[in-house]
Amino acid sequence: MEAGASGAVWSEAGASEQVDHSDLDIGHSMKYGLLKFLDISGLTFLTPIVRLMYGEEPRVQLKKIGQFIVIPALSVIAFLILWAAIAPRHKTKSGEVPTPSVVWNAAVGIWEFHARENDKQLAFELTGERKQARLTEIESRRLTLQTLSAEADRQVAEAEAASTQQLNERIAALRGKTAQVEASLQKESDLRKARQQALSSTLKLDDESGHELLLAAIKEHNEAEKVAAERLKLIRSEEDSLRSDKQPALIAARTAQTAIAEEKQYLLKMSEQLSRANRESKVAEAQEKIAADQQAFKTATGPDALALAKRLVAAEERVDTVAHSEYAKPWTLPDQINRSLACVFFGFFLGSVIAIPIGILCGLNPTFMAAMTPFIALFKPVSPIVWLPIALIIVGGFIPDPDKHWFISMLAEIPLLGRLKINPAFIASGVTVALCSLWPTLVNTALGVASIEKDHLNVARVLRLGFWSRMTKIVIPSALPLMFAGLRISLGVGWMVLIAAELLSSSEGLGKFIWDQFNNGASDSFARMVAVVFVVGAIGFLLDRIMIVLQRSVSFDGATAAL
Amino acid sequence: MSFFPNSWLKSCGCALVCVLILSISGCGKSEPTVATDTAPVARAVTPPATHEVAARDSDIPTPDVAPAVIPKASLLLEKTDLKFGFIKLTDCAALVIAREKGFFGDEGLQVEVIAQPNWKTLLDNVINGELDGAHMLSGQPIAATIGIGTKSPIVTAYTMDLNGNGITVSNSIWEQMQSNDESLRSPTPPHPITAAPLKPIVQQMLAEGRKLQMAMVFPVSTHNYEIRYWLASAGIHPGMYSDADTGGRTDAQVELSVTPPPMMPATLEAGNIQGYCVGEPWNQQAVAKGIGVPVSTNYDIYKNKAEKVFGVTKNWADENPNTHIAVVKALIRAGKWLDEVDDNGQFVNRDEACRILSRADYVGADYEVIRNSMTGYFYFQKSDKREMPDFNVFFKYHCTYPWYSDGIWFLTQMRRWGQISEPKSAEWYASTAKEIYRPDVYRAAAQRLIAQGLLTSEDIPAEDTDGYKPPTNEFIDGLTYDGKDPLGYLKQHEIGNKE
Repeated sequence: MEAGASGAVWSEAGASEQVDHSDLDIGHSMKYGLLKFLDISGLTFLTPIVRLMYGEEPRVQLKKIGQFIVIPALSVIAFLILWAAIAPRHKTKSGEVPTPSVVWNAAVGIWEFHARENDKQLAFELTGERKQARLTEIESRRLTLQTLSAEADRQVAEAEAASTQQLNERIAALRGKTAQVEASLQKESDLRKARQQALSSTLKLDDESGHELLLAAIKEHNEAEKVAAERLKLIRSEEDSLRSDKQPALIAARTAQTAIAEEKQYLLKMSEQLSRANRESKVAEAQEKIAADQQAFKTATGPDALALAKRLVAAEERVDTVAHSEYAKPWTLPDQINRSLACVFFGFFLGSVIAIPIGILCGLNPTFMAAMTPFIALFKPVSPIVWLPIALIIVGGFIPDPDKHWFISMLAEIPLLGRLKINPAFIASGVTVALCSLWPTLVNTALGVASIEKDHLNVARVLRLGFWSRMTKIVIPSALPLMFAGLRISLGVGWMVLIAAELLSSSEGLGKFIWDQFNNGASDSFARMVAVVFVVGAIGFLLDRIMIVLQRSVSFDGATAAL
Repeated sequence: MSFFPNSWLKSCGCALVCVLILSISGCGKSEPTVATDTAPVARAVTPPATHEVAARDSDIPTPDVAPAVIPKASLLLEKTDLKFGFIKLTDCAALVIAREKGFFGDEGLQVEVIAQPNWKTLLDNVINGELDGAHMLSGQPIAATIGIGTKSPIVTAYTMDLNGNGITVSNSIWEQMQSNDESLRSPTPPHPITAAPLKPIVQQMLAEGRKLQMAMVFPVSTHNYEIRYWLASAGIHPGMYSDADTGGRTDAQVELSVTPPPMMPATLEAGNIQGYCVGEPWNQQAVAKGIGVPVSTNYDIYKNKAEKVFGVTKNWADENPNTHIAVVKALIRAGKWLDEVDDNGQFVNRDEACRILSRADYVGADYEVIRNSMTGYFYFQKSDKREMPDFNVFFKYHCTYPWYSDGIWFLTQMRRWGQISEPKSAEWYASTAKEIYRPDVYRAAAQRLIAQGLLTSEDIPAEDTDGYKPPTNEFIDGLTYDGKDPLGYLKQHEIGNKE
């Protein structure tokens, strides 16, 4: 809120014509600081607001605000309205296209799942009085829920009865109609058959037209039968659509019931996590047993003592493992996002480490570039879907038994990385990201190095700079802007590739989340997938912004980055 | 420029900039903070405190969970943090329930159950050690041990369920079947429906130079053998496997392809296939979405056939014998819990099981869809709801015991369709089954449970069983299968290898 404070200073200065220079400077530097920040971070659409704050050409600024903030906001609102209006009209067999509010609910559901799993984990680790307090809290909620749940069950039963009754009435009406149609069709069919009979029985020798008439009658009959069958099929399908029509009241009642049933499950598990499944309780229980065994061991002799001693040692080891056990928490979306981010940066880093040196060498030496060209041309267009299985097999070859492999165990020990549970699928996804995303960096670096002004290189020659100083003083600094432009594209490509890679390798992350939802095929799965579209988009946007900031901070010429 | 609007604009603008910047930077903020974590809970627990005070003193609900049980001599576990894989099917229930109802916890195990995208990945992950064990097709441990596909010995000590699969055809095939067999027109046609009404369709397509396309989930899956059995019992040749043809399409009149279970409805809807054989809830899903009609369940094809098993690699079983027993103990309890009935024979826990399974990280399908088959009913059409109390069996009939005769049946099918390329002796069948099925582990686990009072001796097969179920003729074609005479069984079939 420094900006606000300095704003006040500036407005005072503006009010009294007696301008204190130091205040003006603070205001100015603040203003330019802000403007520069916005420029570097690529949030240039906010500059009119800053300029307006400082009273700079309000008319122009307001126009710009209208153009760059109000119009996009309006278009977003228009999009939401259009979406809400159109979505329910398109029915798929996997359910209706979700409206914004349904997607929002799905997002809340995803978050709730995450929160509840975190609760269970916390409950597992809670100790002493806090555990007891939490348990009482949970139990009292369970009590309330009992009445709520009974009420929900009653409502569902009522809604079900009403809906069944209505359905039966409708079906009875429809069946009546069907029977009528069937009867009339049957009658027509019988008539036609009778006519055929008549025609065939009155047929005379050499009566050509009579023969033709009979053939025509049979053809006509077959056609009519087909039409009748179609008609009947249509009527029968009406019954199916009646059955699949769900009453809104019933759906609402069931949704409410499901929410309560889910909370019930959650509370049940919570109370378990706080009582018998709690870590502290388990340790205490095991220790009690040990104490009893120790007592018995003191007085035991012979084979009894041997058995007890063995048991005691085993029990002590067990206590140790229990005391260090962790709740096996399932993956939730926020954790999956963390893992996806870690994976994309791992792949991006790997790709950059390969791409930048090769790119520099390519830029410096046209012969080396010529040697590399076939590989770049050949591997650049290869899709992640081709790389992934290859990467999986190769990585799997290096890490045959992941549980016991030293590298995986080492990673699991590192505090923050350990939580990501890095496994071969993660590494393979990262490698796929690297293989697909290194090309823009490589090509841009080569271009950046190749287009260094000859004068700069001549200066280096005159100064007799060694290879390393030439690199660090001249080549890399001049190539940096283009290099970073390449890195930015690489990161964007990497993020897109990652989701596909995770989906295929079933490495935990956003890709796996999408795939699991698709596989679930539940009524809210579609909405959850749409919700994740926004998450993926927002993160991709953020990554892009970060790269813009980096790119701007290394550019001397203030090269603009497109949005 | 007057003082007031200027300052107003400035502060407004500052606030707006801050809000926008914050909201943009907030988008990527993925690390949950402690404060937000607890917020939904606070909301969930606030209301009761005031109006439930009176009730609280008298009857604080005791947790519905069984009292903690620690065995007299606890198993010394070699490993306590385990990862098990599963495919999103209702028959993974035992694994999910053992975790959710705390049965694994009682054994001192912390178990993660992780959805796998398909059977191949699941098997690979078990073999390469990424997973400790998994919900597997009965054929998978057998095939992996004898080397159909990936060769790596896998053993099983627990059968997860019986039955639970169905064959679904597309709406247009169903209509054609109806016109071939008038009795199918009724809203509740007589069952079992054989593949006989399908035969004219197949023949007509062959005459047009096309082959009917159907899908199953894995080359050595129960589904593959079921759909082949169903087709062959009506004289339709489903194709033979050979060393040169690992797709199993030699001489096929109907071509079978592999599709992961959750993809079945989408693939059928897209028109790539005209029918499939898959586990639940993917047949009920077809009914719910109106894209196909289940014509037969595997209960009709072969009554009470073993379906999924819990498989681990032989190495894992050798290295972690006590953990293996502990896992099987928890699974037995889960199976028993799933099949618990009240005095009227109604399942008491299935509804709760459906709620648990419908969670997005487990099976994830809608509760209503899962409930259809899990609670003893099966919808063949929206108008055709049938009672099928044995559609999903998780514990009854001593089904969780690893029967040798089940393994041998799968071996006969592998031989019948040419996946085992050479004729084998009856002794080979018996010894292979003994390599894979591990009743010793099951027995050890069950005895501990009996000692703890959590199981009765009637719940498990008699002590002196030889591991073979009595001969049965409950097949759609009425043939008799005796696990002790696999070659005699093979001889009876019209289509497929006879020895």
